[in-house]
Amino acid sequence: MKKVKDIMTRDLTSVTEDTPLKDVAEILSLRGVNGIPVVNMNNEVTGWISERDLITSIFPEKVKIENPDVVSFTNLSSVVKKLTQMGEAMVKDYLSKKYFPVTEELSAADVAELMLHNNLKRVPVVRNKRLVGVVERASLSHILLEEGSLE
Amino acid sequence: MIVTVTLNPAYDHLLFLHGIDVGQLNRTHSTLQMPGGKGVNVASSLAILGEEVVATGFLGGQGSRIFEESLRKLGVTTNFLYTNKEIRTDFYVIEEEQNRQTLFVEEGATIELRYLNNFKSIFERLLSSARIIEIGGSLPQGVHPAFVKELIQLANKKKIPVVLNIQEQILKECMEGTSLFIVNPDLRGCETILGKNICEAGMIRQVARELTGKGAEIAILNSHSFEYTVASKDEVWEGEIESGPTPNKLGVRDSFLAGFIHNYLIMRNLGEALKYGLGVALSTARNKMNYPNSKKEAEELRLMAKVRKVG
Repeated sequence: MKKVKDIMTRDLTSVTEDTPLKDVAEILSLRGVNGIPVVNMNNEVTGWISERDLITSIFPEKVKIENPDVVSFTNLSSVVKKLTQMGEAMVKDYLSKKYFPVTEELSAADVAELMLHNNLKRVPVVRNKRLVGVVERASLSHILLEEGSLE
Repeated sequence: MIVTVTLNPAYDHLLFLHGIDVGQLNRTHSTLQMPGGKGVNVASSLAILGEEVVATGFLGGQGSRIFEESLRKLGVTTNFLYTNKEIRTDFYVIEEEQNRQTLFVEEGATIELRYLNNFKSIFERLLSSARIIEIGGSLPQGVHPAFVKELIQLANKKKIPVVLNIQEQILKECMEGTSLFIVNPDLRGCETILGKNICEAGMIRQVARELTGKGAEIAILNSHSFEYTVASKDEVWEGEIESGPTPNKLGVRDSFLAGFIHNYLIMRNLGEALKYGLGVALSTARNKMNYPNSKKEAEELRLMAKVRKVG
């Protein structure tokens, strides 16, 4: 059975708690991902910031009545405008402290269960608390299907 | 882990032809695309040699995701900062029958100031687990040698050895007031370095010594893709390897550096590291990509290298 280290994306893209939210919006948009790890200056994961957290910060009243997952960055310029109006809001005010780090030795099946159970699209991979990559649901499902067909 | 910094990476396009007819229609018989830039080339080679390596720098535009994915497939961890500008594309025209390579290099996009500050934050975070930093290649518009010097000083503060694999002009500015582990000036297209004509016999040896006198622990100079001089304060070595026809020299000098670093960190012996670097360089020349075919092949080829202590 494959392990996290076999399927993870070895990318360390992350932000710190002092990163302005508008920078986070740009990173998510340019990279086409829905969330990234928040780290300290030792690259230790301290949280997670996602589109959902940004939407919550921009449209708190909307989130109360709608599912924020359906709000997307189809009009990035309006989102950035709103963020500019908010001033230099920081990641630390909006990040999720509830995040789901996994280690490289965890099995792919276990991380699949974790992601499905908690409806997660990406989770950080850590070694001694330090970020070493991410597992993405898209690549995970591909690997699991491949393994399933082999068995 | 080893961190390589490439501030001006390029998406390299290789066009293979039997021969080029200037001013006429030329059809390639094969093409290749791969991530490039000096630091990126070093990272790819280090990964093939089994090192844990993180590549960082600036990326941007449509090719960036494929660029990173290609590096990760080699085992390189990526940590690039995306800007809102497209990265440059370099073209290598390789005429196999002529054993000749022609290079067209773009200047690169302008990097805005805000990205420089964000990059510094990424770099400082990487320092927390780096055992060596390699900074390689040209600078994009908007990035000045003073910025590279600032990165070196941040590494110096944490006592992390720095390898500089850059043009002489940047090197000269960065060497003042900093501590450097290895300097490997890019001599492509140069006839002089430190005001000395490197075509004159014995001059490369003299310049290598001079660079160690200016504070570098080790200086590496090459007069040819397969001929190198390495010097420390105490000794100077020269070495070469018989390459045969090698029309594609893409990444050869950078893979030499990767091989040298990899071996020197283990053996702490200039002569052995020189030999190892030559083996890695030749394995890269035999590969169409900008990294060695394999660690095994590089280690076999190093047995062909001829090295001697000359001072």
